[in-house]
Amino acid sequence: MILTSSNTLENKKIIEYKGLVTGESLIGANIYKDLFSGVRDVVGGRTSRYEEEIQKARDISVQSMIEKAEQLDANAIIGLKISYDNLGGTMGNTILVTAYGTAIKFE
Amino acid sequence: MEFRNKKIDKIYTIKSIICIFAGTSAGLIVYGIFLFFHIDIFGWNLGLIFAPLAAGYAETILADKIIGENIGAISAFILFIYTVIYSFILKNPTLGWNIITAGSIIVILQAAFPTVVNFILLSVFGGILSNFNKTIKKYEHKIKTRIKNQNIVKWETKDIEIDADALPIYDELESNMLLNDFEFYFITSSDIIDKEYDLIKLFHSEVIVEKDNIIQQSEHEKTEYLQLIRIKDGKDESLLKLATKVKNAGGNGIIDLTINYSLIGFSGDNIQITTMGMGVLIK
Repeated sequence: MILTSSNTLENKKIIEYKGLVTGESLIGANIYKDLFSGVRDVVGGRTSRYEEEIQKARDISVQSMIEKAEQLDANAIIGLKISYDNLGGTMGNTILVTAYGTAIKFE
Repeated sequence: MEFRNKKIDKIYTIKSIICIFAGTSAGLIVYGIFLFFHIDIFGWNLGLIFAPLAAGYAETILADKIIGENIGAISAFILFIYTVIYSFILKNPTLGWNIITAGSIIVILQAAFPTVVNFILLSVFGGILSNFNKTIKKYEHKIKTRIKNQNIVKWETKDIEIDADALPIYDELESNMLLNDFEFYFITSSDIIDKEYDLIKLFHSEVIVEKDNIIQQSEHEKTEYLQLIRIKDGKDESLLKLATKVKNAGGNGIIDLTINYSLIGFSGDNIQITTMGMGVLIK
């Protein structure tokens, strides 16, 4: 499965637009995660725990999107967009990770 | 040198004991005065508050003059224990457990440990409010689910009892198939390659989804799951509304489609799902 954020695939001909494919996942709402994320890495000041969680959530969203594209018999997703939205929450942050694009068939 | 330090420590301890003793005595005198003159409200002697305060004050002043530092108002604590034992156990062992007794104990504790007790009271008050709010929302959700499920399931069988707590199932693949079976082009890229099309105009559609505030840590996974389903449902609904608008305008597709999620409401209580794009007629 080829994923691209552009309108087309270079040197490949799109033969059919299969439809919209989306994937969503939520992370957070966990006070322990929030607490541990406060312990930043000394080098670079990055919160690696949060980074891992966000990467995991993005992978879930993208994988869910790919499964739907495969079901539509597509072999690529173009116009891919991934967004991260903070939905807040009483016990900490809740982040919604969404991925969507257009499933296509190319030759 | 070591001997001298030990000697200094001993003198310090003796001075401290003297201060505590003096503070405790001052507290007892004050308590005695309050008892003797029956200075009380509804049978509750005010000496219970003022005696520990007087003890702590006397001890602090004395310690400051003799030692030159504060030793922590230990006599106030002693007075507190003494007055509680004397008043509630020895003097009045048959004291009934009622709202006045409970309130008195809280006031006494508050006088002795103001910061801790105020913190606990605030926590308890906040907890009760949160729990009350959560319970109401839970019942509201149960009622809504029952009403919703009854409409769908009743004709299939009347014997099945609907469990309002059961998690709903959302079939993503099926939902996506249905969305794309709509004879409509949802295209996220800004152009359609190798196809002719006419632009119609910009279309947008909004759906507002209620957001759960996750209070109990034990239920956060279930709440997150339900929240995600509501978001997915909302997104599907918004896309279908968008497609309907374009179809009504004579189009059969939308390009440069975007889906946005944002918090709205006074304290971000709702999630607005907005879908927008250029409506097109693909030839």
